[in-house]
Amino acid sequence: MPKDLYDVAIIGCGPGGLQAAIHSASKKAKVIVFGKPRNSSLYKAHIANFCCSEKLISGKEMLEAGRKQAESFDAVFLEEDIIETKNENKLFSLFTESGETFTSRTLILSMGVARKKLRVKGEKRLVGRGVSYCVDCDANFYRGLDVAVVGNESAATTGAITLLSYAKTVYLICRKLMITDTLYEQLRNSQVKVIQGTWVKEIIGTNDVERVLLKNGETLKVNGIFVELGAKGALELAANLGAIFDAETVSFIETNRKQETNIPGLYAAGDITGQPWQIAKAVGEGCVAGIEAAEYAKKLADS
Amino acid sequence: MGQGVLDVDDNSFESEILKADKPALVDFWAPWCGPCKAIAPVMKELEEAYGDSIVFARCNVDNSPNTPTQYSIRAIPTLILFQDGKVVDQIVGAVPKSHLEGLVKKAL
Ligand SMILES: Cc1cc2nc3c(=O)[nH]c(=O)nc-3n(C[C@H](O)[C@H](O)[C@H](O)COP(=O)(O)OP(=O)(O)OC[C@H]3O[C@@H](n4cnc5c(N)ncnc54)[C@H](O)[C@@H]3O)c2cc1C
Repeated sequence: MPKDLYDVAIIGCGPGGLQAAIHSASKKAKVIVFGKPRNSSLYKAHIANFCCSEKLISGKEMLEAGRKQAESFDAVFLEEDIIETKNENKLFSLFTESGETFTSRTLILSMGVARKKLRVKGEKRLVGRGVSYCVDCDANFYRGLDVAVVGNESAATTGAITLLSYAKTVYLICRKLMITDTLYEQLRNSQVKVIQGTWVKEIIGTNDVERVLLKNGETLKVNGIFVELGAKGALELAANLGAIFDAETVSFIETNRKQETNIPGLYAAGDITGQPWQIAKAVGEGCVAGIEAAEYAKKLADS
Repeated sequence: MGQGVLDVDDNSFESEILKADKPALVDFWAPWCGPCKAIAPVMKELEEAYGDSIVFARCNVDNSPNTPTQYSIRAIPTLILFQDGKVVDQIVGAVPKSHLEGLVKKAL
């Protein structure tokens, strides 16, 4: 057994993940929560429709209070993104952006939903002809070519480093990097050419991507551009564990009323399971997922 | 119908897809690709519904590098609809089922 084995690992510290942490930790499970509060949809919101609170509540304050509550039950928090997940021998392994590995008997996915498209000229027309949304899927098609990655966070940074093993030149276009110091050091010591303080204005090409025009007026000659906004989401972290998505949109993770996915020990809660995207739903699902995961982990530990 | 999605590779592509007596929808995928895994069940469902009139196939780009190069594939999953050996339409990414079903219905 790994020395730091958790009962419940939770990816996401929005209302879904926080409520799951509160319920699982209060059942005496050993709980760890990953994620960055400012990346929660709730962070900038003001809430008026959440039960039993008449006043307008600030989302940021709710997130801080929820964390304190979960910590009072001994849940541990780590403000890092998860960049890879694995499921082996009934245990889940999680790899953080700083290169650490954590192991847990159960995993609750509450990464919310995030924007994935850049919404710039040329992007839609050139999808699959140089525009890609998945470094892990498509890096291999760019052997020996020049590529750019755009994004400010862990997905773009780790993506750019991965691409170094395939492409000839790798640019990372970002407004401002929001990553851990360890990952920043790794980037700094790599061959990635970082272009900070600007963003993509337009993607240009007749049949395939030929150039990327930046907001600062610069033009990059590249064969491909990888759009990697934010952190890795459900398609990257859940699909490779074998989780089934809803057929209608192929965007949301399917769960039953216990918030179980098709994979034993894997749960999902909050915006990631589909609409309505509301706090009340996220905490409701988080509560169920937290209780169920804690019980499942206990059974597994006793067996 | 219900025979499952057919696995094709560089060797069998011509006989199974290009020379098929029916239209064929090919899913270019790889085992390390999350979005490919997400869309696999959708292909299966469509095969169960439309497998009588259309060939549903998948091609692992890891084992068969030539076919994807021939069709200039640079992102997976890419789904290509073939009719009489020619590309009729193409979709990139894990798209909704309705989207893919629309493509299939075009070929009916
Ligand atoms: C402007 C605005 C106003 C809103 N107003 C309301 C309202 O009035 N009432 C209401 O009920 N709802 C409202 N919502 C919706 C509400 O904020 C969401 O439904 C809710 O935050 C969903 O919670 P969640 O836990 O599922 O996801 P989120 O709160 O989005 O949290 C996701 C978490 O996952 C983490 N994460 C993501 N990827 C990774 C990764 N790879 N590794 C580690 N961590 C990761 C993020 O850091 C974040 O902490 C509003 C949303 C917005 C944007």
